Amino acid sequence: MRAPALLTGFAVVAVAVLGTVAIPARSAAAPAGVFPYEHRTEVLPNGLKCILVKLDNPDLVAYVTVVRAGSRDEIEPGHTGFAHFFEHMMFRGTEQVSAEEYNRIHIEMGADDNAFTSEDVTAYHLVFSKEHLETVIATEADRFMNLSYGEPAFRTEALAILGEYNKSANDPDFQLEEKFLETAFDVHPYEHTVMGFLKDIEDMPNQYAYSLQFHDRFYRPGNCVVLVVGDIDYEATRALLEKHYRDWQPGAYRAERPVEPEQRGERTCHVAYAGASLPMLWMGYKAPAYAPDNREFAALRLAGELVFGETSPLYRELVLEQQTVESLGAGVRAHRDPNLFMIQAQPKRAADLAAVQARIEQAIAEAAATPVDATRLAAMKSNLRYSFLMRLNSTRATALSLVEIVQLTGGVEALDTWYATLDAVGPDDIRAAVARHLVPERRTVGTLTSAEVN
Amino acid sequence: MRTRIVLVPAAAALVAAYAFLFAGAIPAGSAAAADGPEFVLQADPASPFVSFRIWVRTGSAHDPAGKEGLACLTGSLIGRGGTVARSYDEILQALFPMAAGYDVTIDREMTVLEGTVHKDHLGTYYELIRDALLAPAFREDDFARLQAEQVNTLRTRLRYGDDEELAKAVLTWVAFAGTSYAHPEEGLVQSVEKLAVEDVREFHGAHFTRDNIVVGLAGCFGDEFVARMRQDLARLPAGPAPAFVPPEPPKRAPGRRVFLIEKDTRATAISFGHPIAITRAADDFYPLMVANSWLGEHRSSAAHLYQVMRTARGLNYGDYSYIEYFDHGSRRQVPAPNHARHRQMFEVWIRPVTNANRHFALRQAVREVTRLVQTGLRPEELELTRNYLLNFSRNYATTESMRLGYALDDRFYGLPESHLDRLRSRLAAVEIEEVRGALRRHIRPGSIDIVMVTQDAEALKRALTADAFSPIRYASPASQAILEEDELIQEYPLGVAEENVVILPVESVFER
Repeated sequence: MRAPALLTGFAVVAVAVLGTVAIPARSAAAPAGVFPYEHRTEVLPNGLKCILVKLDNPDLVAYVTVVRAGSRDEIEPGHTGFAHFFEHMMFRGTEQVSAEEYNRIHIEMGADDNAFTSEDVTAYHLVFSKEHLETVIATEADRFMNLSYGEPAFRTEALAILGEYNKSANDPDFQLEEKFLETAFDVHPYEHTVMGFLKDIEDMPNQYAYSLQFHDRFYRPGNCVVLVVGDIDYEATRALLEKHYRDWQPGAYRAERPVEPEQRGERTCHVAYAGASLPMLWMGYKAPAYAPDNREFAALRLAGELVFGETSPLYRELVLEQQTVESLGAGVRAHRDPNLFMIQAQPKRAADLAAVQARIEQAIAEAAATPVDATRLAAMKSNLRYSFLMRLNSTRATALSLVEIVQLTGGVEALDTWYATLDAVGPDDIRAAVARHLVPERRTVGTLTSAEVN
Repeated sequence: MRTRIVLVPAAAALVAAYAFLFAGAIPAGSAAAADGPEFVLQADPASPFVSFRIWVRTGSAHDPAGKEGLACLTGSLIGRGGTVARSYDEILQALFPMAAGYDVTIDREMTVLEGTVHKDHLGTYYELIRDALLAPAFREDDFARLQAEQVNTLRTRLRYGDDEELAKAVLTWVAFAGTSYAHPEEGLVQSVEKLAVEDVREFHGAHFTRDNIVVGLAGCFGDEFVARMRQDLARLPAGPAPAFVPPEPPKRAPGRRVFLIEKDTRATAISFGHPIAITRAADDFYPLMVANSWLGEHRSSAAHLYQVMRTARGLNYGDYSYIEYFDHGSRRQVPAPNHARHRQMFEVWIRPVTNANRHFALRQAVREVTRLVQTGLRPEELELTRNYLLNFSRNYATTESMRLGYALDDRFYGLPESHLDRLRSRLAAVEIEEVRGALRRHIRPGSIDIVMVTQDAEALKRALTADAFSPIRYASPASQAILEEDELIQEYPLGVAEENVVILPVESVFER
């Protein structure tokens, strides 16, 4: 059975305030902090941070290289999409290990390997049997330090990027996302999707020299964090990491990212979808950047579920009782620079778009005037606590659960601060955060309609 | 893994009712209990979780004619509707503090109510999931909400939102045309629109019986909990399993058939293939698994199609092949369990290619499959792929819920041992001639159905039926070896007869 279209763009940090709940008991010695597994952080002399997590799960190891560069770092005009492009180019070999040899090694290991890119990060992850740990560290270190590709391979891979764009091009969510971001932001790179502007993707084959520059800037030890999670020995793993990464030279590049000016008036955009789709209503309010000790951000994190989520009175009214809306959700997007608090709804009829927007505005006004019920807030905190634990159900999932806090803060230490901040949020914090941030002059309203089903 | 599997023995008398579902021998002690459903238990006291997978031996292939989509809507109402004791809103409120949930997945022959909870909440959670199984309310308001959502999925999301999923769904629709396997789980538009809540009640009464259900439980639970659950589930109604025989694929004349789904699109999504006669229960499965992995292992950049189509030529984002149904391939790295089917397909998934290269890409993929069937694998290719699968298969079931799902699939196929264990021993023994033989017995590149979601379908039809020259253009100079091979590909005869090309407006698919 296919799930209904998912609401997109909720890159929230689903983390918890740990109380006395039982943890996934797969670690030899559970520490006192928020992350329930024994772990160590090592920083090599060149600045490369390595976070080692020892799990009892036998045999498997997950290895993640977190590059703290994403579409946020695409600051020059005409060069959007390059962070994502590197997700592709990193499989194209080095002077020591050709792309063919790299492939052969990975076939032999049978590793589950993949990568993803977002606004703030590019992450490369593998899961494999522990007997292959040194091979993985050696080949990963080699490709991050010595990636080497010629222009023909670069130009060919650029076509695969266009292919990736093409596979999403008919998706109504993707079409609205492209237009919405471009409307909501004026100068910050958050104005485009992670894929980049189409005109830049089409021009990618001609940007070989820029690609080398992008790699030289961001694929540096001070900008990367390596996570090794699973059936490992700390000392042996640390020694291998030091052996293979020690020659990686630090970089000096400092990006001068444009600062998005304060928004002082409502913006709107509309997509007339060529196919058939339910209407869409997106309302995005400018929100602060993520910081683990920012109580206002934490309050917005909680407000998303409490005011608009499946357990909210608004959801019950619009989705379950009136059934004028098929899906509804909201959340603040956790990013290194100020981003958006997004509300996304799918009314069933275009004629209802205005009424649904008005009802959402009314719910915001109510939340800005009246503190949420303390019982619901307690349920929300319990949900966060168990959400975090429920995600730690495999070696791979445990490793990937740390990527977000690493991309946002550069390590896992801030988890404790973040949980404490969430735990301190009271009903009036949520009321005040809604009142301050969810105001018309700070928002962009995007709609999508199509001819066939309205 | 610290997992033990206990099969609860029970009366054998009821086995006969399901015997036709098993392709092979029925495992010892696998029958349903006389006083309740069969249990599959994977206890792990060290786990912090408890996972449920409650399998009902029904699915969209059991939809009555004219009521396609009924199994799906029934499942949706159980997974996302109210119970006699609680409204759906009350269920959401109760689940929220636990960060737990449950839902029902529907496939052609399997319906599974699944969910996982932290052991701290087992008691409260169990009452919710138990009521979903034993006492769904089938309220009119829930029915209206989920029926509308199902129609919308067919009418908009499946037709317009994702051309790749559309091509795959249409491939099954045409390859199994006229059979109970043809329609998507969501059904057909007009059929779903006509369903009434009484249809759901009737379907539920006939299929959700204790003899038709297998209860899977994994994680941290004790004997007392199992005893309580057995006592509760004994309240499921008794009743014979509705008669069902997996359909034979429709007879068709040899030759390639093409179905062009016409819509305005930047790129062309392609899927092709044909039903195959075997499942993982057959001896030929494992040799075929090796050959398929070499050709197009899911999301592997090292597999052959990916290498020659994407890496060498930049045709698209990826190219894969399958001998078992793979649910939601664009979202998953490893296959999800509980989509087991007695009728499987060999299927090639060509991710969208620019419209200018659609004919070339199809030719190249068909040519590669044909060459594989003709030549088989070289010994070094067999060895490399075998080792890959032996290592990679460790990633198939990394959570306790996934392992439980695999155990249920083992029972679906009637395997005498776990597929995950068995594939290790079987793969280790595969020989080169077995691979060649399995390919020749089961893969028929000359009789595939081809689905292409594309624009300007008439022009493509003319090009295909004329076997017109279809050159590829590169962004940078290609190697001499590639250019030489391109000369063969761009003229490779697909031999599609004009009467075997059908153009379908996208609005017409999944209609009665």
